[in-house]
Amino acid sequence: MKKITIRISVLFVLVLFFGSCKKYLDINENPNAAVEPPIAGLLAHGTNASAYTTFKVSNITSYYVQYLASPTKGNDLDTYNITDESSTWSYNYDVLTDMHAMRDFAINKNLVAYEGVADILTAYNLHLNLNLWGDIPYSQAFQGVTNFIPKLDDQKSLYDTCITLLDRGIVELSDPAGDGQLSSSSDFIHGGDNAAWIKTAYLLKARLLNQITKTSAYDPAAVLTALTNSYESNDDDAQVTLFDGSGPWTQVAINNALLLLDGWLSSYFVGVTNDSLYGYYDPRLPVITNKTTDGFYRGTQNGAGHSGSTTDQGESVLPEDKWYSEPGAPLLIATYAEAKFMESEAQFRSGHKPEAYTAYLAGITANMKKLNLADSSITNYISLPAVAVGSGNLTLTLIMKEKYIACFLMPVTWDDMRRFDYAYKQFQLPANANLDEFIRRIDYPTIEFSTNGKNVPNVKLTDHLWWDQ
Amino acid sequence: MKKNIYSGGLKYVSISLGLMFSSFILLAKGPTQDLSKTVIAFEIKHGNLKQAFRIIENETRFFFTFKTEDVLRYSDLNFSSPGISVDKLLNKLLSGTNLGYQQLDNNIIIKKISLLADAPQQMDGNTDLAFEGGVHGKVTNEKGEPVGGASISIEGLKKGVAANANGEFSLGGLKEGIYQVTVTAIGYNTEVHPVVITENNITEISFQLKLTTNNLNDVVVTALGINRSVRSLGYSSQEVSAKELTEAHQNNFLNSLQGRVAGLTISSAGGGPGQGVSVIIRGVNSLNPGKSNEPLYVVDGIPVDNGSSTMTLGTEGARGVQMANRVSDINPDDIESVNILRGGAATALYGLRGANGVIVITTKYAKAGKLVVNYSASYSIDKGDKFPDVQSTYTQGFGGVYDSASFWPTWGPTVKDAIAIDPTHRAVLYDQYEHAYVTGNQFRNTLSLQGGNDKASVSGSVSYFNQNGILPFTYYKNLSSRLSGRWIFSDQLNAGADILFTHTNGNFYDADRFSEEMTYWAPRSDVRDYLKPDGTEKENPANNGNAWYKAKTNQFISDVYHTIASGYATYKPLNWFSATYRFGVDQFSDNRSATAPGPKGVPDEIIDEDNGFGFVRKFNINSRSINSNLLLTFDHTWGKLQTTLRLGNDVLDQQTETTSTKGDTLDVYNLFNLSNAKKIVASNELTQYRIVGLYGELALNYDQFLYLSITGRNDWTSTLEADNRSFFYSSVSLGYIFTQQIKNLPSWFSYGKFRTSLAGIGKDAAPYSTSTVYIPMSSDPINPVGPINGVIQWTLDNRGGVATLKPEFTTTFEVGTDLSFFNNRLGVNFTWYKSKSQDQIIPVSTSPTSGFTTLTLNAGEIQNSGIEVTMNAKPVITKNFNWNIGVNFSHNTNEVLSIYPGLSEIVVGTQFGYSRSSVTMKYIPGESVGDIFGTPTSRYYAKPDTDPLHVNKKLPVLIGDDGFPELEPETNQKILGNAYPKWVAGISNTLTYKSFSLYFLFDGHFDVQKYDQLNNFMSAFGIAKYTENRNQTIVFDGVLENGTKNTKPVWLGQGVGPDGVDYGNGYYRNVHRGVSENFVEDASFIKLRTLSLTYNLNPKWLQKSFVKAASVGFTGINLWMHTNYKGYDPESSSAPANSNLNGLAGFTYPALKSYMFNLNVTF
Repeated sequence: MKKITIRISVLFVLVLFFGSCKKYLDINENPNAAVEPPIAGLLAHGTNASAYTTFKVSNITSYYVQYLASPTKGNDLDTYNITDESSTWSYNYDVLTDMHAMRDFAINKNLVAYEGVADILTAYNLHLNLNLWGDIPYSQAFQGVTNFIPKLDDQKSLYDTCITLLDRGIVELSDPAGDGQLSSSSDFIHGGDNAAWIKTAYLLKARLLNQITKTSAYDPAAVLTALTNSYESNDDDAQVTLFDGSGPWTQVAINNALLLLDGWLSSYFVGVTNDSLYGYYDPRLPVITNKTTDGFYRGTQNGAGHSGSTTDQGESVLPEDKWYSEPGAPLLIATYAEAKFMESEAQFRSGHKPEAYTAYLAGITANMKKLNLADSSITNYISLPAVAVGSGNLTLTLIMKEKYIACFLMPVTWDDMRRFDYAYKQFQLPANANLDEFIRRIDYPTIEFSTNGKNVPNVKLTDHLWWDQ
Repeated sequence: MKKNIYSGGLKYVSISLGLMFSSFILLAKGPTQDLSKTVIAFEIKHGNLKQAFRIIENETRFFFTFKTEDVLRYSDLNFSSPGISVDKLLNKLLSGTNLGYQQLDNNIIIKKISLLADAPQQMDGNTDLAFEGGVHGKVTNEKGEPVGGASISIEGLKKGVAANANGEFSLGGLKEGIYQVTVTAIGYNTEVHPVVITENNITEISFQLKLTTNNLNDVVVTALGINRSVRSLGYSSQEVSAKELTEAHQNNFLNSLQGRVAGLTISSAGGGPGQGVSVIIRGVNSLNPGKSNEPLYVVDGIPVDNGSSTMTLGTEGARGVQMANRVSDINPDDIESVNILRGGAATALYGLRGANGVIVITTKYAKAGKLVVNYSASYSIDKGDKFPDVQSTYTQGFGGVYDSASFWPTWGPTVKDAIAIDPTHRAVLYDQYEHAYVTGNQFRNTLSLQGGNDKASVSGSVSYFNQNGILPFTYYKNLSSRLSGRWIFSDQLNAGADILFTHTNGNFYDADRFSEEMTYWAPRSDVRDYLKPDGTEKENPANNGNAWYKAKTNQFISDVYHTIASGYATYKPLNWFSATYRFGVDQFSDNRSATAPGPKGVPDEIIDEDNGFGFVRKFNINSRSINSNLLLTFDHTWGKLQTTLRLGNDVLDQQTETTSTKGDTLDVYNLFNLSNAKKIVASNELTQYRIVGLYGELALNYDQFLYLSITGRNDWTSTLEADNRSFFYSSVSLGYIFTQQIKNLPSWFSYGKFRTSLAGIGKDAAPYSTSTVYIPMSSDPINPVGPINGVIQWTLDNRGGVATLKPEFTTTFEVGTDLSFFNNRLGVNFTWYKSKSQDQIIPVSTSPTSGFTTLTLNAGEIQNSGIEVTMNAKPVITKNFNWNIGVNFSHNTNEVLSIYPGLSEIVVGTQFGYSRSSVTMKYIPGESVGDIFGTPTSRYYAKPDTDPLHVNKKLPVLIGDDGFPELEPETNQKILGNAYPKWVAGISNTLTYKSFSLYFLFDGHFDVQKYDQLNNFMSAFGIAKYTENRNQTIVFDGVLENGTKNTKPVWLGQGVGPDGVDYGNGYYRNVHRGVSENFVEDASFIKLRTLSLTYNLNPKWLQKSFVKAASVGFTGINLWMHTNYKGYDPESSSAPANSNLNGLAGFTYPALKSYMFNLNVTF
């Protein structure tokens, strides 16, 4: 009797619970997320976030090229100290990962235009990282559990990869099957226009080809060929204007107004654009910043910190009502003006000075138009003797000086400066510099040291990248 | 109720209904009454004979003696009479049975007629009847007060009884002989006395119990609420009683455990109102940096969620470290006892949730007897216990140059030089950290009442707690109430229900942010002067935010309703079988609201960077856990062997939903309504978790000295894929009381037990960690981005998982002994343990280049081993003066045995330090959990340095050509310390003299290090006291690269030194701040945790008043501390209370130094 009672009660419990157990426990499907995202959602992220990758990189390089300077004396970024750029590294790789996934989904669904955009944005963001860090993971990246301690690829081979990706992107977007595939509302860069993407791909390719002037592989003709298929006007520019809230530079201006001091112009950039370095005012300066309370344009010397009070506008900053930092300001990824300056440099290096001069003036004009300057201002500027030097007197230095202004806040300027060994007029080491020469690269971020330590090499900030030898 | 009243040294007493024994006889003695002259009103419906006897007992002074087996079969009696004499009534009741009765004084003995040889149906009191003997007596305490509910048992026999409310008991049916009578009662030492029983005699014996000071013979609540005597356990167990908890007077009862329990490392994260406490039992068992290593809390049999309340909800949904643990919602005055189950064998029945140890909390319950009302109140004045040493010489500016607008608070000239330039400069700098904090206070009122009889009882309490923090504008309120009832419906059925309801409300400010702001604050200004006349933030010289203004306006209010409700019923249809079913719900809703005003729009307004354009953010956490537990118990005795088999089923169903709605940029600057926000990002997250467990335990007790338990449990979890979700684990434990068996021990050797156990336990993963998913950017934890023009951005979730994840297993072996000497005046417990966890489920921090920042993997093996020792001594026991000492200490070491194949390390977390001084906590095989890695000071290695992980601190410091110590690159991070103390110790003393009682507790953590981020900033900003030497020229002690001693004098200041050399930013910024080793500090401490003096009013004075007892007292908490740590309290950490990142102290919070006054009155 006892045994039977025990058996019955145990059996009862077992039946009660096994009967519904499996179903009861089948609740591990994450209700907060999707196994497969809408592919347009990935495109939206890839295009919108590429504005932020650009911004994050620029927020480093703009201090090295002295567009910006910290109001804090001895600031680490200004003075070539090691800074931890983990957030930029993580953010950029996050975007690269999503583009990697978008390409896979696109192949599965046979959406060739999405494949093309994935390739172009991969090339663009990879190139940004490449020019900061040199050797970085790519061929072993994005593998998740299969390999989460990826080896770093050689920077030269990744440079070639970028070109291959762009070429492939161009082919994919040229495929007639890809017409109308891209979601226009989800494409924050080109509104779903395949042809516009192809032009951008060519511009980025030109940028890559133009970057290797120090190497024997440099071929100005190849740069010019790429540019031929590239932008024809400012309307072709790759830029993002729509953001969740304020755009990144607008936010910098807002933060600065809130005393989270940021976006202070460097005395070098102000020196180039006011009359102190070249003896004439650049009409773009008033479009970029405000005069100080005492009626001047005054920048902050990198490394020296602010000279007056931080609140009385004794120094020029990016304000909330100027072109680069006003609400709705575009975040520039690639511009027609840059294309013209690349053309000018390539023509110059090919010995075609008249073509170079034409492109040089076109670059200035394009940028000034972009900044909505009056035609008279533009005409005045390009008639200044120091600007309108004539094709015979055109120099690379002059081309690069104008490119420096036209590419304000764009990461490409640091590539240019390194190519020219910082030989820009009166460009100097920052005050309190931690190095006795110009910076050539940045250190790997803490996050990569701590998660992939055995693959990360020890580097110095004075080490030259492969194309900067 | 019954489980506590009738708990006894014998297991069968404790686990079943105390009233039900297979047979026992009650006897009473007193003036003889004539049965025929005692007339009572009597009524019984569908009752049994036993109940009828009980009714007569209640109405008369007679006691019935019978064997249950004789009377059990006579049921369904129906009889009523308005007045009947007892003799007639008995005849009526016994007619038709084979039973008769015999009167012996006031005892009426019921026996089978066959035994009443030749006896007539009615007998007079002198008839000689052959019956067995018995004992009768009374149990009192040292004051002579009765101890109701004490358990009286006869060793070796299956006989026992509980004393009634008057402390009286009777136990019969004993054959002639000498017996050992054992009396146990909770809170008292067990007494064992021999008693001689002779035929037909009732032996009188009285017991006077002494209050317990050690737990050797106590009954403790073990897994699943099973009461077991400590002697029967094969593992270590330590209980902290209500009295001990009350002595500590901590408002979070977890703090009261500090220094009390061996093997427990408790760190209060700081002195914030309602702030959480970190509890680690026997070291870290789980390498998972994201999973809590906190023990499971079980309140009245119901597991209570302690972790999710500290969840961070992205970067804005919490004030991290400051948030309260949900367990702290429990009013310490409501707790009867806290029992700490440490090893695998102790917690095996709880299954995977008990893998980090279990803290079993039993709340107070009513004892049968009169209504007791208790009122207690405490009021305390609180201050910060420790503040960092700051320099007082130098003021605002940089490079020694005065600048009243400088960002740099103290790199300027001396105060004297500054006054010469700026006459408005004050003469003395503020001690900026200390000055920023205020005096806090705490006030608690508790009213409790309890009462009932032996059928039903109820107890309840209500308490109100209010704390004003030492960080300005922070507060915490807690209204808690509790109701519990116990019913005994019949000998077969009893039930109970408890409900605990708490409402808390607090404003939490981020203490890390507060201290960070104070680091940027120029100490020549008064941070307390934070408002301009127009009500906006007062401008301050450094143009940095004002910490007081932020604390005032940037609010984070958490409003929590927390209910823990449970009920149980125990049914015992057979004397060898019982079933208990328990059901409980733990539910809380935490409504969090973060608000800050936007700009008011007045001229020259400072717009606070934390407040921006104003925001209103709502975070709602709704969490509920449902627990169902069925426990079947089977008892059997085979001669000297007692066996108990328990089988059970356990189900947990947990669901948490969090909703966050973040509104930014307010239209009306101070209207905190979501409809007033111009930008809104919303997201929610639902988490469901279920476990089903089946478990069994076989407990064997051989002759009261050898105890063996075997357990097994199978869990099915919802968080692993179907193939891996079922897992089984088991334990075996053995206890051997050698003093029971070895007869020739000296008399001073009172008690000795050897115990050992081996246990396995499995663990599952966190929900949803086996899959890889895509999320909308609005729920991205780091960069939430809302829809743009209706377009939602999607991204791969950075937290990836694999479907092949399998359960992790921990195996624990422990061996120990419990010894007691000199009649229990000295007790020692010793335990050695070793545990090993395999296939640890860890969200491994991965390189973002892999596509993920964490991947949850079975990655790693860890081993913990250690010792735990507790000692109790009573050096002095006299009539008026008593002295008790309690000592405990524990030592734990652990080693990471292996991690995921191919991985060389797993990163737990990183904390920022300037230049190259960021530190990382990571796991490296062969090293310990809690290791803090950072850059060391470069040292001179004559031979190449072959040890990549450890620093040889004996070697001389390497000095560069510039005369300053060399900096190591970040890639050369080495182990600079470990965040878990190697030794934890506590020593408590209780001295009582007449009505005075003095209690004090010292405790300490030893051999422990923390990264003091505050100190890193104090170096970088020239705030630390040691930076006062900045204008000195010194020669650094060390050697040059060629091995020769450094002789180069260098100036420590900024700019051009007296020697004409430009030193740039100076030693502290160029060198000192960039070396982690300077900031990974010794965080060992010794604290006078508690000092309390209590005066109990003389009961004689109260005799005529309605007050039964009263006491007043003073308690000081953290009155004294010794430590070398430079920051605030060495215990505090900026990591949330249940995080593994406690080696990264951050800026933290001072702990409280409290001066508390207590009053306690019983009516």
